[in-house]
Amino acid sequence: MEENNEVKVESHHHTEHKKEEHKIEPKKEFPKKSLKHSLMEFYDKKYKLLLIIPFLILFFSIAQIGYQIYSTGDFINRDISLKGGVTVTVPYDKPFDIYHLEEQVRASFPKNDVVVRTLRASGTVVGVIVEADIDGNNKAQVQKFLDSIANSLQADLSKIDYGIEIIGSSLGASFFRESLIALAVAFLFMGLVIMIYFRTFIPSVAVIVAAFSDMVFALAVVNILGMRVGTAGIAAFLMLIGYSVDTDILLTVRVLKRKEGTVMDRIHSSIKTGMTETITAIVAIVVAMVVTQSEVIRQIMIILFWGLIADIFNTWIQNVGLLRLYVERKAKKGITI
Amino acid sequence: MNYKVKKLLTNWRVIILIFFLVVSVIAIHPTLSKGAAIRNVITNSSASLAGIPQPKPNILPVNRERIIAINNAPINTVDDYYKYASTLAPNRTITVKTNRAVYKLLTQENFETITLNETEEKTVEEIVQKSVTLNGTAQLINETVTRIITTPKTKQISKGIQDLGFRVYEAPKTNIRKGLDLQGGTRVLLQPEAKLNPTDLSTLIDNMKTRLNVYGLSDIVVRDAGDLSGNQYIIVEIAGATEEEIKDLLARQGKFESKIGNKTVFRGGQDITYVGRSAQDARIEECNPSGASQWVCRFSFVISLTQAAAQRQADATSDLSPVTDSTGAKECYLSEKIQLYLDDKMVDELSIACDLKGQAQTQISISGSGVGVNQVDAITNTQANMKRLQTILITGSLPVKLNIVKTDAVSPVLGEQFINNAILMSLLAILSVAIVLGIIYWRLIIAIPILITMLSEVLILLGVAAFIGWNMDLAAIAGILVAIGTGVDDQIVITDETLKGETSSIYNWKEKVKRAFIIIMLAYATVVVAMIPLIFAGAGLLKGFAITTIIGVTIGVFITRPAYSSFVEIMLK
Repeated sequence: MEENNEVKVESHHHTEHKKEEHKIEPKKEFPKKSLKHSLMEFYDKKYKLLLIIPFLILFFSIAQIGYQIYSTGDFINRDISLKGGVTVTVPYDKPFDIYHLEEQVRASFPKNDVVVRTLRASGTVVGVIVEADIDGNNKAQVQKFLDSIANSLQADLSKIDYGIEIIGSSLGASFFRESLIALAVAFLFMGLVIMIYFRTFIPSVAVIVAAFSDMVFALAVVNILGMRVGTAGIAAFLMLIGYSVDTDILLTVRVLKRKEGTVMDRIHSSIKTGMTETITAIVAIVVAMVVTQSEVIRQIMIILFWGLIADIFNTWIQNVGLLRLYVERKAKKGITI
Repeated sequence: MNYKVKKLLTNWRVIILIFFLVVSVIAIHPTLSKGAAIRNVITNSSASLAGIPQPKPNILPVNRERIIAINNAPINTVDDYYKYASTLAPNRTITVKTNRAVYKLLTQENFETITLNETEEKTVEEIVQKSVTLNGTAQLINETVTRIITTPKTKQISKGIQDLGFRVYEAPKTNIRKGLDLQGGTRVLLQPEAKLNPTDLSTLIDNMKTRLNVYGLSDIVVRDAGDLSGNQYIIVEIAGATEEEIKDLLARQGKFESKIGNKTVFRGGQDITYVGRSAQDARIEECNPSGASQWVCRFSFVISLTQAAAQRQADATSDLSPVTDSTGAKECYLSEKIQLYLDDKMVDELSIACDLKGQAQTQISISGSGVGVNQVDAITNTQANMKRLQTILITGSLPVKLNIVKTDAVSPVLGEQFINNAILMSLLAILSVAIVLGIIYWRLIIAIPILITMLSEVLILLGVAAFIGWNMDLAAIAGILVAIGTGVDDQIVITDETLKGETSSIYNWKEKVKRAFIIIMLAYATVVVAMIPLIFAGAGLLKGFAITTIIGVTIGVFITRPAYSSFVEIMLK
């Protein structure tokens, strides 16, 4: 039966090839077509070998996260919304030296983690965001923090409508714990829905593993970029669950629940639909990432972007591979899908 | 083509979509209103003395009272208001025209007392108590003495006029409520030091609302929030307030006193041991029509006092004389009333029945009334009055300290920028999706309906938000984007499933749509279950995101996607 399946695939491409030959042969454009053809053939036939790629990436992603835990004690670079601290946002349109500001605030708080960012609206600087993980409950500390910013900007903060966010450290830690629970429960629920619908172990696990791999990859990239993740980032990882399973569900439903064509035909049609989905989403995300001036939305978009990139190989190589292994095993037992 | 358009407009799925679009536009209620919308009226200010009502907290944004002219000068924006207000002189009568009425305000002078570097002599009269022996018995008598004291010289200087007492913001153009991060304001997360039971928690929240209202703040949100670990939080949001203001308010509140004459008879927290709120101890007693177009209802509830407080009450009332009501009513009241103070501001006063005179009673019945245009209205108002009074009396009797665990102040300047930017971003993202799909399918008949579907989803989602009074903040905008994103995924599935049918006609159209919807419903289920835990986690700070996403994908799956599939079916068949 295994043979049978592959023969079918081949014959399908063969006929297609013949058709093209018939028209194109005189012009001798053959080598170019052949590259695409052989790539397709490689994809169709060597799926077991290809499976190494996503699993290798998964392995490296987990290794990165392990290293992150080893070097920082935390698997993620938390921002103050998950750690506690103070963020001050000052609308400020005069030119200023951001490094000077950062140095000045650092000098006042040598033991703390200080981050300074500019706030831009369509390319021009409209403000500055300064955050530090100082104790928000300590009024004197907060005032000192504000003073150091005011000094450096040489501005009277009381005359500017600035924004301030203060989070107590125990609350930050509790938000972090809560977010992780929410994320775990969401993942569990998603897994249950998939299991209940497909009622078969391996295809369901393949979907769940693909979603997990997307999230782990996005997290590893975020860590490598040195990006800080806050509550918004947690929301992004949750969104990633939804987006990531979209393509996996499409693939699995078409392969397992449809009857027309060969398994490979169904996979190819899924790739066409799924890649349209992913490309559209990525374009929209890139547009949002470029246009937005909100740190919250930018954080969400960066995480989604990397998650969707990972979704390409995790769906079309990893999930496809696992699903084909399952189909083959079934075929050996004499069940055709 | 004409036939297809007709078929499209009679398709029930398309009709449902159009119906929801129309309802959403009505709910959002876009207007072109100008002026400065009144957010709050400050207590004891010129504005409140002129009888300008405090806006109701749950009023629809477009129904807010707006200042449209002062002294016949048009006020179109908040800037106009501030500019004109700064030119006013003290002790003048000005006319403030709103979209509802015309008010006469008397501007007040703002004095500042400064202490000079000189001293002056002042003659003061003092009452001293003296112990004298009169007719052989020792008695205390009051004697008035005149003394001359030296005090630093002070001078009162006029600092222009006092604030008129309006807190204004740009007139809302729609019924969509902007969240704090889009309009500026302060949010404080408080955590009770000890765990409260649900009744106490809701009393505490009512209490905080009543107290904040005392300061003339009505545009506030006070609500409880929890998390998965069982922690309790109280969220206080005040639009347009700064962090300092809100912290100051929260620190100040908590003092309740009641006075008869000038004597304090009981204080909150220690003297009132019980405030009846059960059906037995608090009720609406009678409702009667009063005059031609009014109904009056009476309420009464029981409170318990400590023995000491009851004694103070008895002492304070023993010298009072009964007054007979000029209307000749059968009830008899004492000459002084009992006045209720919250944070040193009088909030209410109650008449004291004659039979309480000099009696140290620990069980007291408190009654009052409410009026309305009909019986139902009167009952509602009476209940509201009763609840307010109960809340005031109970103030301070919940001995729990609230700790501020998070404050979040957003500058209104940045809020304005964020909203414009968020709209621009959403529109560009939607447009780019339509362009990409237009290129991939190379058919306008697919790209345009997808664009329309995305815009419809945004419109209906905003309509729902306006209808349920949901605040649109950045997290909610992110939720809208997710919902549209999954919507696009689904439309691609529908398009591909049906287009595939153009070449191989194994299945009929119904079957194809049904097959697309299997994938869609499964994807829908996973998104919804993934968002549910977020509603309950971390003091509900990401609740807005989760709920917007869930509402958005639900609208998509049940309203816009069926319409889209009908469209594809009719146009491509």
